[in-house]
Amino acid sequence: MNSKAVIAWIVKIAFWVVIIAFFWWTISNNMYAQILENPEQFAGLLGRHLQIVLISSSLALLTAVPAGILLTRPKFKKYEWIFVNTANLGQTIPSIAILALAMGFLGIGIQAAILALYVYSLLPILQNTIAGLKSVDPAAKDAAAGMGMTPTQILFKIELPMAASSMIAGIRTAIVLNIGTTALAYLIGGGGLGVWIFTGIQLFDNTYLISGAVPVTILAITVDQLFRVMQLFLVPKGIRKAQKAAAAT
Amino acid sequence: MIEFTNVSKTYPGGVKAIDDISLSIGHGEFVVLLGPSGCGKTTLLRMVNQLEELTEGEIAVEGSSIHDLNKIDMRRNIGYVIQSNGLFPNMTIEDNVMVVPAMLGWSKEKKKERFEYLMNLIGMPPETYRKNFPHELSGGQQQRIGVARALAADPPVMLMDEPFGALDPIIRARIQEEFLDIQRTLKKTILFVSHDIDEAIKLADRIVLLKDGKLQQFDRPEELLNRPANEFVSEFVGEDSVLKSLSLYQVQDMKAKLTLPEASDGLDGTVFKHGDSLRYVLSHLLHPTPKPVYFERQEGGLAGPISVAHIEAFVREMTA
Ligand SMILES: Nc1ncnc2c1ncn2[C@@H]1O[C@H](COP(=O)(O)OP(=O)(O)OP(=O)(O)O)[C@@H](O)[C@H]1O
Ligand SMILES: [Mg+2]
Repeated sequence: MNSKAVIAWIVKIAFWVVIIAFFWWTISNNMYAQILENPEQFAGLLGRHLQIVLISSSLALLTAVPAGILLTRPKFKKYEWIFVNTANLGQTIPSIAILALAMGFLGIGIQAAILALYVYSLLPILQNTIAGLKSVDPAAKDAAAGMGMTPTQILFKIELPMAASSMIAGIRTAIVLNIGTTALAYLIGGGGLGVWIFTGIQLFDNTYLISGAVPVTILAITVDQLFRVMQLFLVPKGIRKAQKAAAAT
Repeated sequence: MIEFTNVSKTYPGGVKAIDDISLSIGHGEFVVLLGPSGCGKTTLLRMVNQLEELTEGEIAVEGSSIHDLNKIDMRRNIGYVIQSNGLFPNMTIEDNVMVVPAMLGWSKEKKKERFEYLMNLIGMPPETYRKNFPHELSGGQQQRIGVARALAADPPVMLMDEPFGALDPIIRARIQEEFLDIQRTLKKTILFVSHDIDEAIKLADRIVLLKDGKLQQFDRPEELLNRPANEFVSEFVGEDSVLKSLSLYQVQDMKAKLTLPEASDGLDGTVFKHGDSLRYVLSHLLHPTPKPVYFERQEGGLAGPISVAHIEAFVREMTA
């Protein structure tokens, strides 16, 4: 074992010690009281949270992936910078400001929250889709065309499988960020677990704070892990093996 | 089989990559496109399967103009090997090799059979490599798979862009030999890009020598070496063109050209057979402690002893 691996282990162990200590502290101080005492309200907030995340990130997925594919086709290549810069803007503007803008358009409520989070999720997906498709070995595409694959076949049999790893990473980043940012939806009346978090902040009440924040965190980590597993199914074995081999050298 | 008529290609931006080239390539002929980097070899090759469009002129494959053919269908009927092998990293070796048969809708059994045949042809046991991925193979093996993939649907025409480019000289020489063997049985019409004169001499029935997109000479290798059409050709083939050309001739060529003395049997010396290269013969004659050299004769007995003077006379005959 080299020193890098040792340090990685120490960090990992320290991380879990902190996590366990944290949970021990929260549980022993009865900080999940809100969840235990108001399970219906909790279910409602969680449901709303998931609803916002699901709708906004699905819409972002359905927009950014096709857009990324189109913007890497020879015909539309010249427009790439416009879209990437626009999406970039969406990312540089603080999420609070996007929420405020969305509220300006759609008023208070869940629609405004969904719009804001949709815009916020576009960039990571678009960027990674484009990066993934651009990183496909031009020789492979050329060989595919030369062997008589149609452009559609090249896209589905060569380009998307080879870009899958980068695309999934983008989608994962977008959704995990989205789960966290959805906590802000409360600010424009969108609901979700942010309701408890902000109540906790306003009332200096740890039971609200923890009952809201910990589920959001667990949700984010679970989704993150889910995507790791999904990667195993969606990224072709050859690519995964090649990446592993490349990382080892 | 492949007919280029006044073909020109100007890239957007104004580079004239191919300038008014006309060539006629016969059935089963192995033609090497040769020339320095940037002379237009790849461009000329890629115009045949329409990966590059012609600016002017006309290319016909088996009598039909490529414009009248469906691009996708024609490409499935032309084997294509690219400069950097271009294997698909997401597919197993078997899937890589069987890409075109799969598109053509071959049955599972037929594909399996073909895969095994091809792998044996290129000297890689099918069972060992079937489930491997491209990155698990050496550079030489990858290039062989590239060749097998191009041969998969048994296309009559093969376009090969420096398929043995990135290999070290020893492996390269071996793969060239193997490929020549394969070609002797398959008799494809081959357009093969190379920038290496020795490779071209070894493989080609005829060589197309290009410079700045213009045709310099289209001839058999020995003609190119012995009767260069212009200054550029003689410079390109190099000052050792005579030595190079000797590797193209065999003992039987010399016996046909010259009357050689008859030798009595049972002499101590080295005996060369009909098919041996004259280059080896010369090498023996120049050895610091040479043994007498004899040629085997069709009607029995030996001819010789052969001397450097005989080789000289032969070379004079061939370049006359
Ligand atoms: N897509 C392109 N756009 C513009 N110019 C090009 C393009 N492809 C090639 N060229 C130019 O056309 C000329 C011929 O290029 P080509 O690739 O056919 O050369 P080559 O003989 O295959 O060279 P090499 O031995 O280096 O592979 C070069 O001057 C090159 O710069
Ligand atoms: Mg080239």
